[in-house]
Amino acid sequence: MAYSEKAKGFYQNELTTIRQGGLFKEERYIESPQAANITVEFPKGAAQKQVINLCANNYLGLSSHPDVVKAAHAGLDSRGYGLSSVRFICGTQDIHDELERKISEFLGMEDTILFPSCMEANAGMFEVMLDKNDAMIADRLVHASIVDGMRLCKAQLFNYKHSNMAHLEEKLQETQQCRFRLIITDGVFSMDGDIVKLDEICDLADKYDAMVMVDDSHATGFIGKRGRGTHEHCGVMGRVDVITTTLGKALGGATGGCLSSRKEIVDLCRQRARPYLFSNSLPPPVVAASIRVIELISKTTDRRDKLERNTKYFRERMIKAGLDIKEGESPIVPVMLYNAKLAQDVARDLFQEGIYVVGFFFPVVPAGAARIRTQISADHEIEHLDKAIAAFTKIGAKYNILGKKKDEVIAMYGL
Amino acid sequence: MTQSRIVKEFFQKEIQELKAAHLFKEERYILSPQSPVLTVEYPPGAPVKELLNFCANNYLGLSDHPEVLKAAAEGLKKRGYGMSSVRFICGTQDIHKELEARLSDFLGMEDTILYTSAFDANGGVFEALLGEEDVILSDELNHASIIDGIRLCKAHRHRYKHLDMADLEQCLRQSQDKRFRMIVTDGVFSMDGELARLDILTTLAERYDAILLVDDSHATGFIGPNGRGTHEHHGVMGKVDLITTTFGKALGGASGGCVSGSRVFIDVLRQRSRPYTFSNTLAPVVVAGTLKALELLGQSHKLRDKLMENTAYFRRRISEIGYTIIEGIHPIVPIMLHDAKVVQEISRELYNEGIYVIGFSYPVVPKDKARIRVQISAAHERHQLDKALELFKIIGEQFGVIRT
Repeated sequence: MAYSEKAKGFYQNELTTIRQGGLFKEERYIESPQAANITVEFPKGAAQKQVINLCANNYLGLSSHPDVVKAAHAGLDSRGYGLSSVRFICGTQDIHDELERKISEFLGMEDTILFPSCMEANAGMFEVMLDKNDAMIADRLVHASIVDGMRLCKAQLFNYKHSNMAHLEEKLQETQQCRFRLIITDGVFSMDGDIVKLDEICDLADKYDAMVMVDDSHATGFIGKRGRGTHEHCGVMGRVDVITTTLGKALGGATGGCLSSRKEIVDLCRQRARPYLFSNSLPPPVVAASIRVIELISKTTDRRDKLERNTKYFRERMIKAGLDIKEGESPIVPVMLYNAKLAQDVARDLFQEGIYVVGFFFPVVPAGAARIRTQISADHEIEHLDKAIAAFTKIGAKYNILGKKKDEVIAMYGL
Repeated sequence: MTQSRIVKEFFQKEIQELKAAHLFKEERYILSPQSPVLTVEYPPGAPVKELLNFCANNYLGLSDHPEVLKAAAEGLKKRGYGMSSVRFICGTQDIHKELEARLSDFLGMEDTILYTSAFDANGGVFEALLGEEDVILSDELNHASIIDGIRLCKAHRHRYKHLDMADLEQCLRQSQDKRFRMIVTDGVFSMDGELARLDILTTLAERYDAILLVDDSHATGFIGPNGRGTHEHHGVMGKVDLITTTFGKALGGASGGCVSGSRVFIDVLRQRSRPYTFSNTLAPVVVAGTLKALELLGQSHKLRDKLMENTAYFRRRISEIGYTIIEGIHPIVPIMLHDAKVVQEISRELYNEGIYVIGFSYPVVPKDKARIRVQISAAHERHQLDKALELFKIIGEQFGVIRT
């Protein structure tokens, strides 16, 4: 066997270290579709349990929406299951073109190119747009997939402090000699739920002749009055050069991502983006369902409006109950616990109470900033939210953290 | 407008240059499911045309198989459309675990981890397992996704000459000071249809204490007597440490991929592999469809055997007609024409006559090795192969590219 004992011992040791550090990620088996109420088997072999799901990116409740499921069925019937091809060989159907046009219209962009995932959109785009003559100027907290895409690109990398416009401006001044400069940011930052200051970024981009790229994965479909995203929310539609986003969260949550941009940038990505050239075309059921999703959310803002109301309701009552919430307006509502073990203990106890949430800790968030990230959905009814708030209140009281400030929690549980 | 005119003109010029160099890739709109007979609209707005398809990775004809479609529809009904989550938050269903177990059984490996695509599997496997103390020895013609995965990893790297086992052995000898060595190869090379020499590779891996990773995307489901892959073909099942493969080709062709290997490797990948940790879980419809594809392959060799018969027939007949092909057993049949312009013209003529094939030229293949890559499927019927062969003969004669 080529795989030696030495290698095996090494990797076993790594796993032990992860476990001992309390950083081991366990998976829970869900035996139902994604929804506000799900059936979970955890730990493996335990009795099935009905829980309220407060940790999906199912912001609009479309992941198992009957119209979306119906459209996926129709896609299977009319265009088959898989394409067994990349786009440019024999993997482009008429519906791929239709979805790209519908997304462009929805986002208010010139053109759109689909990818198997937003991870791959981010992995492929930088290398196409920029080379060593150029500069990438990125917020320090951008998503891992952007980080990987930038690692694959030869352009010079500059980071600015999270959402710090003065620091961004410094970097823009420092890079005046570069051919092209691209400012790179998440639209909504997934761990804190805060929204980028896109208006200020676009002003700076104009002033210094830079391009702007936004990953709106946690925004498309519900941020902004018509749910178009952070560019709508910040009043800068038409001023952002590149938007990447996902079909894997609010827009049905199956799989797939895209890049929307100026026509020539999209054209060039079709010719050169490696994940586009070397990975499969999106399967017909996903394309068909995504078209339906864009139609649904273009027609009415009902679901997006309900999500906004739910979020406001949940945020207000959690604060009133004495929980330490990161302020903001996005449906990502981080409940701060600071200590990694405390975050996991509280999540486990909440699961016993029928509330499914997950604790986040280093290295996903900075050390000493452990939290439970709750995510609100348009699928939640007020009674779901009330149950969750009651459970948080009960478990919060058990650990004596209600109404306590950051310093007091840290004094009790350590960092 | 944030984007300046200079930027716009720069990118417009890049596109024009690609067009001028005949390297611009156009997409053709297919109005039907993937199958041997396609309905195509090309160029956009042109009348709809029926074509025989010889360029899909639909090796087993499962992309539109009624059983797979039925299972996918069941999956949608029972487990919903999307999960809107990565695996470790709330994106693992019972069927994801079932698929991982079935794949491990099928490939003869200890454990399996699913990815959004084989591209992501290759993107995430190296960095999670190797560091700067290690070395990766990679065949120079490995797939782009392997190259990108290696670029994201801090390990040292050597490219050995394509299929050159002596060169690899020398690299292995020279890297004995490294903590771990990993040999990386495609199981089947997609442009030539050649198989990696896994019999020799496993021996070398043992001799020099190296980890062996094989990307079997163009093999899983049909290479080897039971279709397990190149490791079965070479009689070395159980001796390969890691296999990456795709569900996007023979296994139904929708999307998704995986890494199969020793449990401890898979455990580490679940904790650390970035595309696994940061990208969506596979959609239930794809999980259900892939489960059915594996079940069908477990029940009978029929599809695999038909594919191999079709392949042997086409390879024999196209040679008899007088074309030069790269010899082998694989349903990828490269018809060598050498000249990029001839390749383009012949594939256009074939298209006009109802045969859909794609020409490959530089930079995808070396400059004087331009070719038409034909891909055979179990879904092809004999009369469809005959029609393609006949048109290859007529058009080849017109262009004077076949031996007399």
